[in-house]
Amino acid sequence: MQRTTHRPHFLARSVAVALATAVALTATACAKSEDDASDKKQSASSAAGAEQKAVTPKPGSKTCTIDAYGAKKLDLKGATVGFSQSEKEANPFRIAETQSLKDEAQKRGVKLLTANAQSQFSKQITDVQDLLAKGADLLVVAPLNSDGWDPVLQAAAAKKVPIVTIDRKINAEACKDYVSFIASDFVEQGRRAADQMIEATGGKGEVAILLGAAGNNVTTERTKGFKERVAEKAPGLKVVAEQTGDFAREKGQQVTEQLIQSNPGIKGVYAENDEMGLGAVAALKGAGKKAGDIKIVTVDGTRNAVQGIVDGWISGVVESNPRFGPLAFETLDTFTRGEPVAQDIIIEDGTYNADNAKQDIGKAF
Amino acid sequence: MAEAALRTAPPDRARLLQWLQTYGVYAGVALLLVVNTVITPHFLSAENFRTQAVQVAPVVIVALGMALVIGTEGVDLSVGAVMALAASVTALYLGYGLLPALLAVALFAAGVGFANGALVAFVGVQPIVATLALMVGGRGLALVLLPQLEDLRNPQLASLGSGDVLGVPYLILIAAVLALLVAFVVRRTTFGRQLLAIGDSRPAAELAGLPVRRVLIVVYVVCALLAAVAGVLATARLQASDPTSLGNLMELSAITAVVVGGTPLTGGRVNIAGTVAGAVLIQLLTATLIKHDLPPSWTQIAQAVVIVCAVYAARGRGKR
Repeated sequence: MQRTTHRPHFLARSVAVALATAVALTATACAKSEDDASDKKQSASSAAGAEQKAVTPKPGSKTCTIDAYGAKKLDLKGATVGFSQSEKEANPFRIAETQSLKDEAQKRGVKLLTANAQSQFSKQITDVQDLLAKGADLLVVAPLNSDGWDPVLQAAAAKKVPIVTIDRKINAEACKDYVSFIASDFVEQGRRAADQMIEATGGKGEVAILLGAAGNNVTTERTKGFKERVAEKAPGLKVVAEQTGDFAREKGQQVTEQLIQSNPGIKGVYAENDEMGLGAVAALKGAGKKAGDIKIVTVDGTRNAVQGIVDGWISGVVESNPRFGPLAFETLDTFTRGEPVAQDIIIEDGTYNADNAKQDIGKAF
Repeated sequence: MAEAALRTAPPDRARLLQWLQTYGVYAGVALLLVVNTVITPHFLSAENFRTQAVQVAPVVIVALGMALVIGTEGVDLSVGAVMALAASVTALYLGYGLLPALLAVALFAAGVGFANGALVAFVGVQPIVATLALMVGGRGLALVLLPQLEDLRNPQLASLGSGDVLGVPYLILIAAVLALLVAFVVRRTTFGRQLLAIGDSRPAAELAGLPVRRVLIVVYVVCALLAAVAGVLATARLQASDPTSLGNLMELSAITAVVVGGTPLTGGRVNIAGTVAGAVLIQLLTATLIKHDLPPSWTQIAQAVVIVCAVYAARGRGKR
C-alpha cells in the first residue's frame, strides 16, 4: 500500500493528534499514583518455571510435517515471525501473552513483527495481510473469531507461510490451512474449577456461577466443564444462579451483591475469570462477610487473584497460562526443521490453592 | 391510587397517555415493588434496599446531567467515557491524596464538558455528533493514561465508597443531595428557565437576548462533572480503577432513565423526579431478573419494552 498524496485534512489531523499527545503527556508528567514508591512489578513472563508445558499427546493423535504442509524448510534463527494479537493489551492475559512472544523471540534471535487488531476482526484480517506483505516467513495468530479466515489463509498458502494459531482455534483444516493450534482446554478448566469448588464446599449446598461474556466460546466451555463435573461428582451441589458478569470486575460485584441478597444460603461462587471473582470479593466485603464465609473459585491465575487466596478470600484459582512464547516458537522450530508436530497442542495448566499460593505467586501473571 | 384510578376513568386517550407519561414511571416502580414483595424471597429487607440504592446511585447522578442536556434539546454520549476518564485520573493522582486527585478529576471532566459545549454552542455541531467525538476520544485518553485496571488502597477513597452516616451510605446521600440541587436549579433559578427556553426554541431564545452559548457550555460542563462524580464513586466502591469497562453503555442507561422518566427528547421540559424514578425502575427490573436467575438477554428485552412504552406515552403528548 502506497500513499503518496496527502489529503487536505492531513494537517488538521496531525494537529489534533499532537494536541491529544500533549494532553496525555502533561497529564502524566506530574502524575503520582499510589504505586510510584514501590518497585515495579516483576516482568510478567520472565517468572521462573511459569512457562507453558504441553500435555503429552495421546498415541495416534494427528501430526503435521513440513512436507505434508507444502512449505520450505528454513532456519528459525534469522527468520521473520509475524504475530497478530486479537485484543488490545489492556488485561493481564493479553499483556502476558504478547510479552511472552516478544521475550522468546528476543531469546532466540528471531525478528518479530507484531500487530494488534484492537478487537476488530476486519482489522485483524488486514493486520495479517500486512504482516505477510512485510515479509513474515512464519505466522503466529491469536484469532479474535474462529470464522472468516479464508482470505488470509489463501494469501498465506500462496506464499507458503506456515501459521500457528494460539488461544483460539480457527475453523479450517489443520496441516493444510494452518499447522497447529496451541491452547488451554477450557472445558477441562471448568472441570477442575468444579473439583476446587467441591473440595471447598464439601460437595453440598448452593453455588452461583458468574458467566463470562455471552456468545463467547470460553464462557460456554468453562460452564460446560463445571456443570458436567458437578453433576458427575457432587450431585448435592446445586447451581442456583447463572448470571453474566461480562468478564468485568464491576459487573461481577453488582451481580454478586444481588445474588447473595436473594439467596442467603449460597455457599460458593464460581467466577469464569479472575476479574469477576475479585468483584465478588468486593461484594462480600461490602456485605460484611468474612473471608471464607462464601467460597470463591476463579479461572485465569492473575497475581491479584492468587493474592486473594493468600488473603483467604478466594479458595482456588485454575490457571489459564498466557505465556505462549516458548511453546509457539518450539513448535515452529521443530516444524521448520522438518520434524512432525502435533496438530492440537493442549497446554497443561496449573492450579493455585491455599497450599501453594504463597510460594507460587511469582508464577502468576 | 384511588385518585389515579379516578383520573383514568374518562375514556379520553390523550389524557390517559398524558397521565402515563407523567405518572407511568412511578406506577411502574410501585408495580415492581409489589410484585417483588410477593415473589422474591428476602426482598423486604433494609439490606436489599440499601444494595439497590447503592447500585443505582451512579446511574442517577449521570442521568441528572443527561436530563439537563436533554432539556436543551441536546444529548451527551460522552458520559460513560468521562466516568472512565475520572477513574484513570483518580488512580493517576491519588499519590497526592484524595482531595488533589478529585480536583484533577474535576479539571479533566470540565475540560471534556467545555469541549462538548464549545462544539455545540460555537461551532454549531449537532450534540449527538459532538459528544460522539468526545465519547470515543475520552475513553481513548482514559486508556492512554491508565492502560489497565489498577487496585487502589487509599483509605479515604475506600470509606467514600463503602462508608455511611447513620446507616445511610455516602453514595446514596450524595446522589440525593445532587438530585435535590439539580431539581432546585431547574425549577427555581434563572439559569433553569434559560435552559428550558433554549430547549424550547434556540432561535427564539437568541432573539430574546438570552446568553444561549454561555448556558449551553455550562450545561455540558455540569453534565460532565456529574458523570465524573459518578465515575469516582463507582471507582471508590470497587476500590479499583478500571477504565476499560467502567461506564460502558452508561450513556444509554442514562438516556433511558431520562426518557422513561417523562422528559421529552425534544427539549424544553425536564422532569428530575421522573428521571430518578426512571433509573430506579430500570435498576429494579434488572434486580428482579437477576434474582430470579433469568437469562441476561431478558433484561435487555424488558428494558426495550419499557422504553417503547415510554416513547409511546411521549408521542401522545407531542401530538397534543
